[in-house]
Amino acid sequence: MKNRFGFDWSGITGQPFLRAPHWSRRVFFRHLASGIGGYYLAPSRPLETVARAAVSPIATAKSCILIMMAGGPSHIDTFDLKEGPWTPAGFQPASFGDIRWPAGLMPRLAEQMESIALVRSVRAWAAVHDLARNWLMIGRNPAPAAARIAPHIGSVVAVELGRKESPLPAFLSLNTNNGPGSGFLPPENAPFYVNPGGGGLPNAGHRDGAAAYERRLGLLRSLEPESPEGLNITASAAEVRAFRERATALMSSTAVNTVFTWDAAERNRYGNTAFGNACIAARNLVRGNLGTRFVQITVGGWDNHANIYGGPFNAANPNSLGRQFDTALGALLADLKSGGHAEETLVVALGEFGRTIGPVNAQAGRDHFLQQAVLVSGARVRGGRAIGSSDELGRNVADPGWSRSREIRGEDLAATIYSALGIDWTTIRRDDPAGRGFEYVPSAAQDLYGPIQELWS
Amino acid sequence: MRMALWGVLAAGLLAGQPDCRFDGDREAPTRALRRVEEAAGRMAKSPAFAAASRNVPASAIPRRNFIDRAVFDRLQRLNVPAARLTTDEEFVRRIHLDLTGHLPSPAAIREFVADQGATKRDRLIERLIYSPDFDARWTLWLGDLLQNSAVASTQSSQIDGRNAFHTWITAALATGKSLRDIAIEVLTAQGSTFDTDRAGTNYILRSRVPTGPNQDKFDDLLSRTASTFLGIGHYDCIVCHDGRRRMDDLSVWGRSATRMEAWRMAAFFSRIRYTLVSNDRTNPAFQSWDISDAPAGAYDLNTNFGNRPARVGSPELRTVMPGYRLGQTPSPGANWRAAFAGYLVDDPMFARNLANRVWKQLFSLGLVEPVNQLDPARLDPRNPPPAPWRLQAANPELLEELAAELTRSGFGLKSFVRTLVQSSAYQLSSGYEGPWRPDDAGLFARHYPRRLEAEEIHDTIQQATGVVASYPIGGWAEPMRWAVDFPDTAEPRSNGAVANFLNSFLRGDRESLERSQASSIVQQLYLMNDPFVLNRIRASSSPVLGAILRLQDPGAATEELFLAFLARTPTAEERRVAAGHLGRATTTAARTAALEDLAWALVNRTDFAFSY
Repeated sequence: MKNRFGFDWSGITGQPFLRAPHWSRRVFFRHLASGIGGYYLAPSRPLETVARAAVSPIATAKSCILIMMAGGPSHIDTFDLKEGPWTPAGFQPASFGDIRWPAGLMPRLAEQMESIALVRSVRAWAAVHDLARNWLMIGRNPAPAAARIAPHIGSVVAVELGRKESPLPAFLSLNTNNGPGSGFLPPENAPFYVNPGGGGLPNAGHRDGAAAYERRLGLLRSLEPESPEGLNITASAAEVRAFRERATALMSSTAVNTVFTWDAAERNRYGNTAFGNACIAARNLVRGNLGTRFVQITVGGWDNHANIYGGPFNAANPNSLGRQFDTALGALLADLKSGGHAEETLVVALGEFGRTIGPVNAQAGRDHFLQQAVLVSGARVRGGRAIGSSDELGRNVADPGWSRSREIRGEDLAATIYSALGIDWTTIRRDDPAGRGFEYVPSAAQDLYGPIQELWS
Repeated sequence: MRMALWGVLAAGLLAGQPDCRFDGDREAPTRALRRVEEAAGRMAKSPAFAAASRNVPASAIPRRNFIDRAVFDRLQRLNVPAARLTTDEEFVRRIHLDLTGHLPSPAAIREFVADQGATKRDRLIERLIYSPDFDARWTLWLGDLLQNSAVASTQSSQIDGRNAFHTWITAALATGKSLRDIAIEVLTAQGSTFDTDRAGTNYILRSRVPTGPNQDKFDDLLSRTASTFLGIGHYDCIVCHDGRRRMDDLSVWGRSATRMEAWRMAAFFSRIRYTLVSNDRTNPAFQSWDISDAPAGAYDLNTNFGNRPARVGSPELRTVMPGYRLGQTPSPGANWRAAFAGYLVDDPMFARNLANRVWKQLFSLGLVEPVNQLDPARLDPRNPPPAPWRLQAANPELLEELAAELTRSGFGLKSFVRTLVQSSAYQLSSGYEGPWRPDDAGLFARHYPRRLEAEEIHDTIQQATGVVASYPIGGWAEPMRWAVDFPDTAEPRSNGAVANFLNSFLRGDRESLERSQASSIVQQLYLMNDPFVLNRIRASSSPVLGAILRLQDPGAATEELFLAFLARTPTAEERRVAAGHLGRATTTAARTAALEDLAWALVNRTDFAFSY
């Protein structure tokens, strides 16, 4: 059955990740029953990747900043403005080419509009918070058991672009401390959780002095026994040790402390909020070039079932969520541009889904909704325009706006991020624990999903 | 197999999507086994155990109870050797940590090792099970299970409610209240959330989901209850939609479960009423809630907004009456919550779930993982699921026997814990000789180490050094000194730095953020550099280190240090390195520094933070 765009999803008979000729489903479920999972399960193999199709990643970005707007922001009040009797006067909608934008709510981003592309033909798969958010973060359906070992997109970026000798981990996650991790990939690709406040990286220095630290570390190493070779379990036995080695390396880098230190003036310029601080840290990470290639910033508060225009989208209140978001992200985009890093940094801001359209609900709010919109900037993305569009109320996709002529999904966004970073999104890794191949983007062999190339044209 | 795609697409979800916290723990199998492996691997190579890590034939392991017959008979059949039994040193440290969250003192270690009595392990088990430390540690465990916390994203119990619930849980353990009675009292609790005797009301209060119709509350309570007490986390999915086409790969029960069945279950809660009690205060932190049951009402199918998809009835069915998943319906005039609680504790899933959870706490790996994804249709060995599905449990017969034992013993936690830790299976060493196949994890041929929880790490550092803090805790007259006593996982609110130290070990928030055993760079930074550690390894502050400093002989000092920090005697190699380090110092200042270095190194040793 074809959908509205003549696209037939029924050909998908299952995630290839779960299908492999040499591993029967019976054995697979048996493993699940005994709770088996993890990268150490596979006998050590070289990290072999098999790209299925000859593709050319755009490769304009050195790093990516993903802003996860947890809760699901109302798309018709932000990136896909739909005006009606419900639109507060404070929004002061303004036109930027074909884009209508709530300039009263988001004035700083309005100033950056020429660098911003709005993708308006995106649809979430599910309107359930954790499910939809995880879907975006791992680029596939998180519900099937096999997805439990799927890594965060940031961990895929880390394993592709990260370098062991870098002072900082390749994947940093700011202002949260949970979510998908490195899955079956080696643990050094796991997100490094930081809540930056501007006072440096906590506990990155040894208060008793460097000499004492060196002495103690040497003593520790001589007391820790060596691990015997040949046993599969030593890979994870060394995990804790590996994290200690990374921690040690991090401590010896003064540049790391600089990245996480800024003054009150800077903090205020970004709005003096947790989100603002995270944006400063992200900017510094990009500038600092210490090995971090993927930064996720989580900013919550968008689950506005009630009083949406009185609270989070009160344009007159500079401390409202919408205004705070605008202050910080606007400053980030401006600083990336002025610092010369915008062209090599991809910025993506999105929530897990959108919110109900038209008049507000019985509690003056909006509920979960599958239609959503995404903000993209940097990495030579052509700004000042929208890709795709929704219908007059923002209910459904009207014009997909890209070559695949259908609604854009989280899997396509993942492919887009990989492409921007120069990663072949059709890669299938052979070091997954089930030994059946792990696709960076599901159904790569069928070319089901792909990057939104139109962002760059 | 079909993907969930079509189902989700077809859902056409519009207004009022659910706040369906996917409480399926995505990373549980990975994490569970990773934890298992990292620690098992560590211990296998540690010199303390390598020399003595000779496996034994499973036939040689004494069968002390049905658990041993289930585990070792199977190993025998499969010709897989077992790890040897723990040495006394290994056992005394492990049993103290697992039952009380605290280390044995050096004196207790020496005494236990020296004891020649044949029943000394059983006697130690009895003493620990009936100690206040056991009650404290397992109050922490129950606090996690019942999700006790002062602040929640739905409805907060506030400090007073949390404290009342914490006191209630502690008393329940201390007085030997069975898990069955705990479940019944919590589910049927009425009255004030601040009232210690009725503090189970806080469990009910948590489901007061705001920004939605009352049915959202009943659905939430059902989801939590099914997950907590039956291990069936998938009800959180079924309250939104049928399982068909969405759960086909997840659960045999789930794939044919319907939303109507979930409504019938949630209907048992549909007479609950939440009433705010101002207590003459305007500050919500001092306002309690009154939980009561209305005399009438049922689960109406008439919502089109809120956190779950629209509930639409039909002219024939506007209201759903309660019906338990196994078919029971309450008699006329019966209190619905009381009826539900009765059916729940008689449900085979209740015993299986609790048995599995307690097993996991002691054996580090559940017989079913994740523990909140039990599939009722895949647990009975006499009724296996259709191919290609397999029974869920790693040892299906054992899970049934554990459930039967828990039921037979009246659901007493202490007696069940005793049964588990008396077994040889529990008392196996974590050292294992030869190639280890991760596939064999479900055989339990060895003990799997577990990384200590945040509270245990905090407390063992305090114990080892003798530097014990004092934290004012909201609503408690006396400050608390041990993290295992904290009433929720956000304490100490009075000391943010220590709270951060604890949080780095991922103790969760008793809501959607579960406890995690994941390692991280952050944890290492804290162990190496945080003032919590550094301030305690100073000989001038630490009574333990001060006393050791006075020992002139480096060998004796080394032995005392290892006993205090690692709860065991050092190996020959460790003695050589440590005593050598101490012996090289000639001045008092140098000896002090050397001792502090050693203390730091032992806290940062990987095995410090593990029960193995």
